[in-house]
Amino acid sequence: MKYFVSLFGRDIEVDVDGDAVTVDGKTQTATLGVVAGTPIRQLLHDERSEALALDPLGSGRWLITRRGERVEVEVLDERARHIRGLTGGGERARGPAVLKAPMPGLVVRVQVEAGQPVAAGAGLVVLEAMKMENELRAAVPGVIRAVRVGPGETVEKGQVLVEFESGS
Amino acid sequence: MNRVLIANRGEIALRVVRACREEGLETVAVYSAADRSSPHVRAADRAVAIGPPAPSESYLNIARLVEAAVTTGADAVHPGYGFLAERAAFAEAVEAAGLTWIGPPPSAIRAMGDKTEARRRMAAAGVPIVPGASAPVGDIGPALGLAREVGYPVMVKAAAGGGGKGMRVVRTPEALPGALESAANEALKAFGDASVYLEKFIERPRHVEIQVLADHTRTIHLGERECSIQRRHQKLVEESPSMAVDSDLREWMGAAAVSAAEAVGYRGAGTCEFLLASDRSFYFLEMNTRIQVEHPVTELVYGVDLVREQLRIAAGEPMRVHAGWLSPRGWAMECRITSEDPANGFLPGTGRIDYLRIPGGPGVRWDAGVDVGDEVTLYYDSMLAKLIVWAPDRAQAITRMRRALDELAVLGVATNQAFHRRLFADPEFRAGEVDIQFLDRRADLLQPAPSPEEVLQLAVAAALAEDEARRTRRPAVAGDDGASDAWTRQALLEGLR
Repeated sequence: MKYFVSLFGRDIEVDVDGDAVTVDGKTQTATLGVVAGTPIRQLLHDERSEALALDPLGSGRWLITRRGERVEVEVLDERARHIRGLTGGGERARGPAVLKAPMPGLVVRVQVEAGQPVAAGAGLVVLEAMKMENELRAAVPGVIRAVRVGPGETVEKGQVLVEFESGS
Repeated sequence: MNRVLIANRGEIALRVVRACREEGLETVAVYSAADRSSPHVRAADRAVAIGPPAPSESYLNIARLVEAAVTTGADAVHPGYGFLAERAAFAEAVEAAGLTWIGPPPSAIRAMGDKTEARRRMAAAGVPIVPGASAPVGDIGPALGLAREVGYPVMVKAAAGGGGKGMRVVRTPEALPGALESAANEALKAFGDASVYLEKFIERPRHVEIQVLADHTRTIHLGERECSIQRRHQKLVEESPSMAVDSDLREWMGAAAVSAAEAVGYRGAGTCEFLLASDRSFYFLEMNTRIQVEHPVTELVYGVDLVREQLRIAAGEPMRVHAGWLSPRGWAMECRITSEDPANGFLPGTGRIDYLRIPGGPGVRWDAGVDVGDEVTLYYDSMLAKLIVWAPDRAQAITRMRRALDELAVLGVATNQAFHRRLFADPEFRAGEVDIQFLDRRADLLQPAPSPEEVLQLAVAAALAEDEARRTRRPAVAGDDGASDAWTRQALLEGLR
């Protein structure tokens, strides 16, 4: 079975056939051993041994932890990749964008209001967690469309804080 | 002294339990509703509930803590670090209840806790200080005047407490009002005191601190700790000794720290923080009147158990450290392992520790506050553990730390482990060319930088996992070929017997 793995902005073709794995035209044995009683998997590939953890996130997405590095990867088969190519899904849409809470916390300050243009890097919302104030900034320039939270409000991870129109 | 109440949680509470055990003392843990089954509760002989998760209603509740000590028959209180460790009112309440306070006299805490008062007394004792305010700044008018006088950049700092909370660097007059307001807000939340002061900001200094230890007859220093690797004023890596300190400078800084401690009648373990400029001039910043997070690196190079010495000194016994010339042996380094996700702007994360592999082998020490199964919440500090190594010299200590960091595995919560791996592989860091702005310049170290082989390896692992998931998923679907895998066939066979 041929898979297309995307990680770190790269697409890598990996052909898996039982214990044989072909990457970059090189076929080698590769196994993903189980370490009983732990979530650790032992990868043996290209004569290298590495302990990893692989958490399924659904729809072919995986969270891999390797020596403290957490990497989200997506694995598609040929059919899924073809469909993705036809619908254009996966490409980041321009236009409406949102700022989501990267962690649960308390909104200390909201530094913008609806209709306000912001530059990339401008502070939008100050969120407090673990006794520290964290300023959340705009990743791209744009115009604020709506502010969804107010000072003193407790927010969950992933909750939408600010909506904005990007690409102006 | 027979039974010690530990007015803290996490890593330091466990550290104190260990010291008490070795001194033959019983321990009493305290816990908030969020910590009922936390490691420090499991480790102690007794445990008392002290209130809801919010620190202000539990770990910062003086009356409740003193009551817990009295009702459990504890005769001494160890405050750890953070929370109430540097609150003179807590030390006084403990002593007023007839209990032993394991820390410096309340008068010394008060003298050093009021940074403005401390600076005046240190200047009088001949300890060099950074030019700046002699009183807390409240209104923006006088603050702007003072900032102009000492010259930009200036530092706005909380008058109470430390640990980087309530601190801001200001480079222009326009930025001063906002910085004063946010620093005061943060100080009020962290320490219950909104007053801030202002001082000259010294460019690119190292943060070097001196450990002092004082019993009833002697005050000594146990050399320096280099703590320049900081992010947003939070220390991440500490080492002892420092590359920038030779034995002459160690004695000068040590003598200044001893004078500082003696000037306030200090007793127990304490730390004088200094800024060390590239011309070897140094300035007293503040004295932390408690045990420090990074105390293990000093313990390893001086062969002293600082927490056990705290216990002995509080009990009125002399310190075990011999009199005369003391010098560090070998090199110790510490990495603070925090639940901060580098991939998420270093914001603190939460979750359950699903798996933990603790590094071991020669010269490795692991002081942790969490174990497998523990929940990491947003109520408390994000530090999960300290990974500490000792080796004969700095180069070998770095090699050993890299080896230990490779052994460490934490699953369930994102940590800064990968950042430490990049830092310890970095040539500039390995050469010891650090100052407190090192990480501001080297933001690249905060980002993952996988080699092509590593990327390939991860891709192969993901493809194998996805392939395996697809093959094992199929029989799980209820249908006609339910007996296609070995497990199901075996189960059917068993059922037929």
